[in-house]
Amino acid sequence: MTGQAFFVLTALADGPRHGYGIVGEVAELSQSRVKLKIGSLYGVLERLAAEGLIEADREEAHDGRLRRYYRLTEDGRRALAEEAELRAATARVVRARLGLTGPAAAGAPG
Amino acid sequence: MSGDLERRYRRVLRLLPGWYRARWQEDMVAAFLDSSLTGNPEADEYISRTAGPSGAEVASVAGLAVRLHLSGPRTSRRYAWGQAIRRAVLAVLLVHAVLAVDVLVFLVWSHRVVGWLPAPQANLLTAEPAGAWARVYCLVGVAWIVVFVALLLGRYHIARVLAALAIVPNLVALLQAHFTGVMPAAFGSWIFWVLLDLAPVLAMTAFHRDAPPAARWPWLLALPVGYLLVYGPLLALQATGNSAWLPDFSGLCCILVSLACLAHAPRTWSRPAAGTGLWSLTLALLAAVAAANRIVSLTGYLNDPHLINVSLAELLIVLAAAALVASDAARTQAVTPPPYPHAMA
Repeated sequence: MTGQAFFVLTALADGPRHGYGIVGEVAELSQSRVKLKIGSLYGVLERLAAEGLIEADREEAHDGRLRRYYRLTEDGRRALAEEAELRAATARVVRARLGLTGPAAAGAPG
Repeated sequence: MSGDLERRYRRVLRLLPGWYRARWQEDMVAAFLDSSLTGNPEADEYISRTAGPSGAEVASVAGLAVRLHLSGPRTSRRYAWGQAIRRAVLAVLLVHAVLAVDVLVFLVWSHRVVGWLPAPQANLLTAEPAGAWARVYCLVGVAWIVVFVALLLGRYHIARVLAALAIVPNLVALLQAHFTGVMPAAFGSWIFWVLLDLAPVLAMTAFHRDAPPAARWPWLLALPVGYLLVYGPLLALQATGNSAWLPDFSGLCCILVSLACLAHAPRTWSRPAAGTGLWSLTLALLAAVAAANRIVSLTGYLNDPHLINVSLAELLIVLAAAALVASDAARTQAVTPPPYPHAMA
């Protein structure tokens, strides 16, 4: 799973969001390190929808335009949980190898 | 207010393939304007007149365009198959429900429950199972109707449990016939049960809370309409002494699926690139079930060349009809749009 896809799925984890809402949430989640352009966002959304990880939730009118909201599917929720677990485990290993201390390193394997 | 800015962005979006724009363009425009406008009319007026998509924004669209042109339409095979299976399950349940309505209608009619209705002709009455089995089959019939309606109302759990119970009496009857040695065509009877009872019940797992809901009213309407359209002509044939023309159940399924394919095929020719051929995939599935059913039921006619010929003709008809929608069904798997809201089964 790409970093952008991971952030988009995470942005949808606590509820449906529309396109620009996802951009804002991803920026907040990544502490402004990931700033999705609209073209990039819809490339990711299209791929996630084709893989059945997200689906459209509803449409709402806003300033004369329709905003389409997206939500995670059950598969998307599962894929995100697995990816989060994998990334967390990797982070623990990295911290342990770097000899970093702190709460995040406490549960590091080996 | 956003007219100029919107026009400039739409010009950039022309880089994207047509099939992609048809699905995503309006959403992309809305998101882009959300990201560009401030909500302040004066500021937005100025932005709209002077600003355009940034270089990075244009680059992101161009990058997406290159990827899409190289990869072609994304496959949503899973969604297409899910929808096709859900529709095929509903179609098989509709058949069960129509059969059940027929049982109930004749029960009411033959027992003169409605006083003013004249008694049915003797040749319209078929031999009914006696005693406890009669009651069981009546209950099973009612259960299939409830299953069909429950599925359309989104009561998937109730539908699954009831359907699993509804297939038990036929299983018991099969086992009983098997062990008492009175089963006329063992292979055919078992396959028949697997195709029309067990498989739909297992396939009902395709109905889950993330699946788009079925179009309730057309399917509900299909129950009385289907009953009248199927049993009207059949009763007329029987009442006028032309019972020899009556197809058996497998033949009737072949005929109905063939008619559905013939009715649907012109739509696939008129918009071959629209990618909305989920019905073609559904009909191809139903044709496969009908053809398989026809083939295995041949084992019961091995001593009757006439019935064998009629059955083979029905088989050829359903295969030819399915061929009319097969290419659209194959294409559908490649270009099925993502599940937008209000998608209907």
